[in-house]
Amino acid sequence: MTIGLILATAALFHLLGLVCSMRAPRAWLYSNSVANGLLLATSIGVLCTATEWEWKSTFTVASEQVHLRLDGLSSIFLSLLSLIGGLGAIYAWEYWSIQKHPLSAKWGRFFWSLLSLCMALVLTSSNGLHFLISWELFALSAYFLITLQPQKKEVRNAGWLYLAVSHAGSLLLFAFFALLAQKTGCWDLGPMLERTDLSTLFWLALLGFGVKAGIFPLHIWLPSAHANAPSHVSALMSGVAIKMGIYGIVRFSGWLPMPGSAGWIMVVLGIVSAVLGVVFALGQHDLKRLLAYHSVENIGIILLGIGFAMVAIDHGKAAWGAFAMAGALLHIWNHGMFKSLLFLGAGSVLHSTGTRRMSDLGGLWNKMPWTTALFALGSAAIAGLPPLNGFVSEWLIYLGMFSSVIQPSSALLIAIPSIILLALTGALALACFVKVCGVVFLGAPRTPAASHAHECGLWMRIPMLVLAGGCVLIGLAPFLFWKLLISAVASWHGTWELTPMPAALKLLSLSHILLTLAATAGFLLLSRRARQKGIQRRLTWDCGYTGPTPRMQYTAGSFAGTITEWFSWILRIKRHEKLPCGIFPQQAHLDKHTPETVLEKIIEPCAQWILWVSRIIRQFQNGRTHVYILYIILGLIALACMTICWS
Amino acid sequence: MQILHFLSLVFELLISLVVWLLLAPLLPGIVNKVKAWVACRKGPRLFQLYYDLAKLWKRGVVLSDLASPGFIAATAVSWIAILAAALLIPLGPVNSLMSFSGDALLLLYLLALSRFCTSWAALETGSAFEGMGTAREVSFAILTETALITAVLTLALKSSSLTLSLMLTPTPGAGTLLLISGLFAALLAESCRVPVDDPNTHLELTMIHEAMILDHSGPLLAASLHGAAMKLLLFSVLLVKIVLPLGELSGIESTVYLIAGIVLVCIAVGLVESFLARYAFKKVPLFLTTAFLFCFFALLTAWKGFAQ
Repeated sequence: MTIGLILATAALFHLLGLVCSMRAPRAWLYSNSVANGLLLATSIGVLCTATEWEWKSTFTVASEQVHLRLDGLSSIFLSLLSLIGGLGAIYAWEYWSIQKHPLSAKWGRFFWSLLSLCMALVLTSSNGLHFLISWELFALSAYFLITLQPQKKEVRNAGWLYLAVSHAGSLLLFAFFALLAQKTGCWDLGPMLERTDLSTLFWLALLGFGVKAGIFPLHIWLPSAHANAPSHVSALMSGVAIKMGIYGIVRFSGWLPMPGSAGWIMVVLGIVSAVLGVVFALGQHDLKRLLAYHSVENIGIILLGIGFAMVAIDHGKAAWGAFAMAGALLHIWNHGMFKSLLFLGAGSVLHSTGTRRMSDLGGLWNKMPWTTALFALGSAAIAGLPPLNGFVSEWLIYLGMFSSVIQPSSALLIAIPSIILLALTGALALACFVKVCGVVFLGAPRTPAASHAHECGLWMRIPMLVLAGGCVLIGLAPFLFWKLLISAVASWHGTWELTPMPAALKLLSLSHILLTLAATAGFLLLSRRARQKGIQRRLTWDCGYTGPTPRMQYTAGSFAGTITEWFSWILRIKRHEKLPCGIFPQQAHLDKHTPETVLEKIIEPCAQWILWVSRIIRQFQNGRTHVYILYIILGLIALACMTICWS
Repeated sequence: MQILHFLSLVFELLISLVVWLLLAPLLPGIVNKVKAWVACRKGPRLFQLYYDLAKLWKRGVVLSDLASPGFIAATAVSWIAILAAALLIPLGPVNSLMSFSGDALLLLYLLALSRFCTSWAALETGSAFEGMGTAREVSFAILTETALITAVLTLALKSSSLTLSLMLTPTPGAGTLLLISGLFAALLAESCRVPVDDPNTHLELTMIHEAMILDHSGPLLAASLHGAAMKLLLFSVLLVKIVLPLGELSGIESTVYLIAGIVLVCIAVGLVESFLARYAFKKVPLFLTTAFLFCFFALLTAWKGFAQ
């Protein structure tokens, strides 16, 4: 019951936050932090003790009894939500300050609280109708957060696209929950594995939740929404909100009986999202849009793990499945942390330079050492490099997939391509983040805006430091989290609760610690040696040229050029060029732009077609009275014919 | 017993550190000797890299005025990451520092970490050439890494294990031949050798790895050259251990065979460098894709072997 009390207190603080958000910003910050702190503590507590909390009250909302439930699986998501929800609010205190944005800061606070509350409700509600209501409120408050700056056209467009796509997804979910309620006879949700007739409903859920999760090719709303939202909102959206889609998929794949091919389909969807997400990221020139595409990639990796766990269930192999699922769940945490860290870092760049275009940045490390270091750490983590957290979760997923290779079974057919493509994704992500770090933070500033950058303040730095600390902690001591993960896995698939921690996990963590120590020692050795022998500063060697300018540096586009050329079949890069010609060429320029291929080549033509059809249909309703009279007469004749024929 | 075990662990660590740190610079020497011998030249001394490293270690450092402290840190981490990857490989009679299921993946990702750090250091300088070199390095590495993970898959399938010490046991058959061809090509790419990269080139436009370390000097250059030599040794040891059944031999015999194998790999690298020109950059992806395909066919044969 203590869990219920703490949750109720947290909810009260969130409501208090909603009330305070308009007039008392400081009180809002406190109540938001307290609420999220309580939620974090509760969810970690539930995970540690492997308990499940359920509460069914007589109190009704929309003539349905309130039914709440917090188990291991929802705790994983709830802990992430409360972490990012708390830290993002602290970050916003400086980033979206009251002085700079008097009006939108107010609404930002309000919808932040509403969004957090609704997402927490989505995670805990165990009634289909209440789930839908919270889901819809969550989607709407996210819309208002994305469009905090509605005076900008691209923000309005992004918000509109988000709203439209999100509602298309909601529509599928309405269908899903309605059909579920119709077949089971009540709105209550819970394990219903014995009802094998429900298995086809899973496809509806996969589509509906997949839109929110941003699975390729349903990701069309994601890049522009994440890029145009204020950065703390992007962090919450990318770190947590899209995970709600994953939550839905995991939740119902655990509660509903699965169609036999579901695991395979999810693995394929996951791997396609992973590879194409990172490929599209490589083609971007906008820092935040690039990060948004990496969300597609990481959602793909998570989906791959979940899908593979489902394949393992089909084969009755607990060990593979538990590894893959634990890896996927850990990756949910990890992605939440490093992606939020990166978005907050990008926000700090945007805050100080006013631009997201990578080709306008460069050399920021000098003015922004903290942001640079933290962004670099986040980049290494997202590229899956040891000794950080991204590697640990990918390693667990790999381990699950390799198990099926080691003890050969038919799952090998899907495991082998997935392993190869996951490694490919890792290498592509590394290339992408080398590009980002190099172009944005290293080298020389390309514009005056970049050279006049300034470091962010403590309010913005502390959340980033906490997130970076989380990345390092999970990287160095992953064995601490095994118990938490496995209790979540057990609430997904009950019989897997006894999976022992792989002995390798402790050794992995030991090798990570040793690597960190050795790297520190190596750094100290080299820097001491360099200082002993004297360090001189000279111009960068440019093939003997003595007047290099910042414009001569490699740009983001040229850096990724080779790779984007390999993938030009899907990227469809547009080139705008004026080649130098003549003996004394005057002007020349080359500009490459990666369009939103799925949106522009598939969705928009379809939308155009629908509009065209509607335009034809609209002609029937042209407002002329005599035509309507004609319709009535035609209708009467038709009715008359029907009655005569049938009688 | 605990103390004895601990002491033997420390002893083995010391031996492998000596091997990896002290013997690695010999390999480029052997390669260069072979190249000189084919070209009927005298060539640099066998221990030339040792002299170079000693000289560089004593020199001061010239840093680009755009470089941050991260330049030194990245160089150091890149060097240590290669060493850490190397320590995961068992060396004949000497066990690896640590051995667990999944260490093969750690090895691959440590190499990736090293690449990330080298690239970071290169981009610190804001030089167009270093940017160019880095772009090529990370692009080609995508194909190399795909080939390497396929090789790991093949070995895992053959040995039913994901522990390096168990995976590196050779099995006869055509699959092994395919695998070593693929891995040899990956070795050439990863250790910046002809036909992918030319370690001796003097034109910045045609460099990959050399372009990335244009602004390294003194002890930093020494660390990065030493790291490259260790990487060559690492891949040579991997290749030899896949082919030769060292585990079945006694300590001294296996050491002798291991050394002979490594020398053979170096000779092969030298011969390739002597008789092949560096490919045009457009052709390199084709070469690396071939490496991947070799590994992939090895995987298919291993799989087929299981099916039977």
